[in-house]
Amino acid sequence: MTALTYYPGCSLKTSSKFYETSIKQVFSFYGIEIQELPDWSCCGASAANTVDERLAHALAARNLALAEKQNNHLFAPCSACYIRTKVTNERMRQDKNFREDINSVISPLKCLGTGEVKNIIEVFHDRVGIEVIAGRLKYDISPLRVVPYYGCLLTRVMGMEAFDDKENPTSMDSLLWALGVELVNWPYKMECCGASKTLTDKDITYDLSDKIMDMAVLLGADVIVTPCPLCQLNLDLLPYLGRTDQALPILFLSEVFELAISGRLSGSNSHVIAVDQAVKKVKKIGG
Amino acid sequence: MFKYEENPGYRMNDLTFLKEMEALSGQNISACYQCYRCTAGCPVVTQMDIFPHGIIRYIILGEREKVLKAKAIWTCVQCITCSVRCPNDIDIAHVFDTIRKVAIKEQKAAETDTWTFDKIFLDSVARHGRLHEIEAILRFKVEKKNLFEDAKMGIGMLLKGRMGIFPHSVRDREQLKEIFKKCSQ
Ligand code: SF4
Ligand code: SF4
Repeated sequence: MTALTYYPGCSLKTSSKFYETSIKQVFSFYGIEIQELPDWSCCGASAANTVDERLAHALAARNLALAEKQNNHLFAPCSACYIRTKVTNERMRQDKNFREDINSVISPLKCLGTGEVKNIIEVFHDRVGIEVIAGRLKYDISPLRVVPYYGCLLTRVMGMEAFDDKENPTSMDSLLWALGVELVNWPYKMECCGASKTLTDKDITYDLSDKIMDMAVLLGADVIVTPCPLCQLNLDLLPYLGRTDQALPILFLSEVFELAISGRLSGSNSHVIAVDQAVKKVKKIGG
Repeated sequence: MFKYEENPGYRMNDLTFLKEMEALSGQNISACYQCYRCTAGCPVVTQMDIFPHGIIRYIILGEREKVLKAKAIWTCVQCITCSVRCPNDIDIAHVFDTIRKVAIKEQKAAETDTWTFDKIFLDSVARHGRLHEIEAILRFKVEKKNLFEDAKMGIGMLLKGRMGIFPHSVRDREQLKEIFKKCSQ
């Protein structure tokens, strides 16, 4: 199987460093090897896309070119990095004029779009699989009521196939189901948290994130689970933004794996909204 | 009484703006049949001065000023819901992003915070190759003169280890500068 090159992006090196720690722990449990992309640069996020699209593609293509040198697939856990890089990769592969133009910008590097970009849900499906996940549980996490929160970026792409349904994704549901949680269906799987406005118009971000939290509370969930560091941060900051009502902890997908494997969370201190209550519900199997 | 002569846009005989936006965005905007689906799914519609379907309609009607000066294009959070749902495959979010560029260029933007922050963000990336969070946030706050707003949140994030203090930089910064230079030409 093609090796995985890990593209952390800025979030997993700063505001969500504990996500990286969590991923590394869980991956090593399943024997998934990852190596960090040497000398990676920022993907440009939504900023480059708004200000200068050519620059946005060039930034993403630079990282893709570095990964192609190693003949590896690029694993990007951040949903924003993942989608930006995937969009550029697809266009580099399909559109010759576009490819030549962008390559002239990033030369001497060269990107052909021959690699693949993978998110964390795909990696768990492709490299571990539902059966192995369900077969290697060490802790019973069934007392946890979970709402799966994919965030708005992961499958909303135009002009190309997404890895899962664009309106009602289920790929993370099946992972969580295999891990043994009580899965709660809800209407906000892909609702936007407003990440692009966190600093410029926090009222918008607050309204959107608050509404998502309200719904999760209303449904009696214990935790919200997401693969996206932007969603995690925005919802986790709600108490700072003025929310006084009950707020549920927001776990990264890999953290649910941690609970099922080790019964604890390595990054529990990094959560703004306390995770203790949720962790306490987890019991050792046969213990 | 409504006089068509005084409202040239409503006659739809001036397609310049529509053509301009179609060319810039690469989108088939004229395919819109006003089903309102984009507006119905938009999470921030209640805060918009003109709804998404309205922006599209005004482009078709040639209401250049109205569109460029709309607040809605800046209220948009770029969640792509509208684009994915449009039965005519119009990437409305991308049309909005395209309008932003024209509005800034012609100094007609109703709001400049988004743009200012995006520029500061990119400037940080240009210099370090990666986002130096604190630097970007502080620069934006200085620009906005609200340095002490949200200070509690900032300190809280620092204590939780959720804000990078040290700039971590790309080694090959020369090549990166070259990329930024070529794009600004
Ligand atoms: S969804 Fe598409 S066709 Fe319907 S109103 Fe919006 S832009 Fe027009
Ligand atoms: S991309 Fe913008 S206009 Fe479209 S649904 Fe999202 S916020 Fe609304």
